[in-house]
Amino acid sequence: MSNTKLCWWTPFKYAVPADYENWFEQQALEGWHPVKVGQWSSFAMRFKKGEPKRYRYVVDMQPAPRKDYMRIYEEFGWEFVGQMASAYVWRREYEGERPESFSDMPSRRSRNKRFFWAVAASFIMLALGALVSAGAAIFAPVLPEKRLELVLSAALCALAAAALGVVMARIRKNLDR
Amino acid sequence: MNIDKARQRYIPMSETMLYILLSLREERHGYGIMQYVKELTNGRIVLGAGTVYQSLGKLEADGLIRAVREEDRKKYYVITPPGAQILSEEAARIHEIYRHLEGII
Repeated sequence: MSNTKLCWWTPFKYAVPADYENWFEQQALEGWHPVKVGQWSSFAMRFKKGEPKRYRYVVDMQPAPRKDYMRIYEEFGWEFVGQMASAYVWRREYEGERPESFSDMPSRRSRNKRFFWAVAASFIMLALGALVSAGAAIFAPVLPEKRLELVLSAALCALAAAALGVVMARIRKNLDR
Repeated sequence: MNIDKARQRYIPMSETMLYILLSLREERHGYGIMQYVKELTNGRIVLGAGTVYQSLGKLEADGLIRAVREEDRKKYYVITPPGAQILSEEAARIHEIYRHLEGII
């Protein structure tokens, strides 16, 4: 049995931050730990088999963290796992009571809203891309092959936008978690 | 932020905000705030890192607290006069509730 594995599109699959955290925690309980979390991990994340551990994972979206951001987490006992764009991943080993980083409802909601708006930004870009390509395919005076390219690009953008739309809806439904 | 706007935004305020403001009558940093509040409430309120970080950012942006110094990448904050004003108005409000509830328990 291989002792590494790749997981694809994880942030999109487990769209809701709390679900994503639980998924990480479950992996750790089975002994799977991410090798390195970085820019490309949102597409493919490599895990290595090791000792099963009880980790509480936390994901946090911070597009412009202040200088004391990392320090506060570290002081509270969190270990920095990595960062995908503005999404920070933290973990902490525990026994007994599960530690929380967002300890009340208002802060949990604002954490979730930050994820919502980050996805919304990409959604808007893709939706615009789809509209512009579709518009060009219909109205621009171009050769037929070029037109086909534009139609394909519009379709791809629309498909990706639709997927992000689903992610947004799922986050919105779970703002309290 | 002017005081009227702060009143609208913070009164009534969440338990988290209240205890953070209360703890910052003395200069403290993130972890110190958590410890202070935990001790004060006998372990009932254990603030999380994300909650503390987020609340400090909001309170600072609204002028209710300010950063006083940085030491070893730790930032220390203290309550400002408008922050103290809001805290005391909130205390008066809670005191009134307390009086109305006396005898219920």
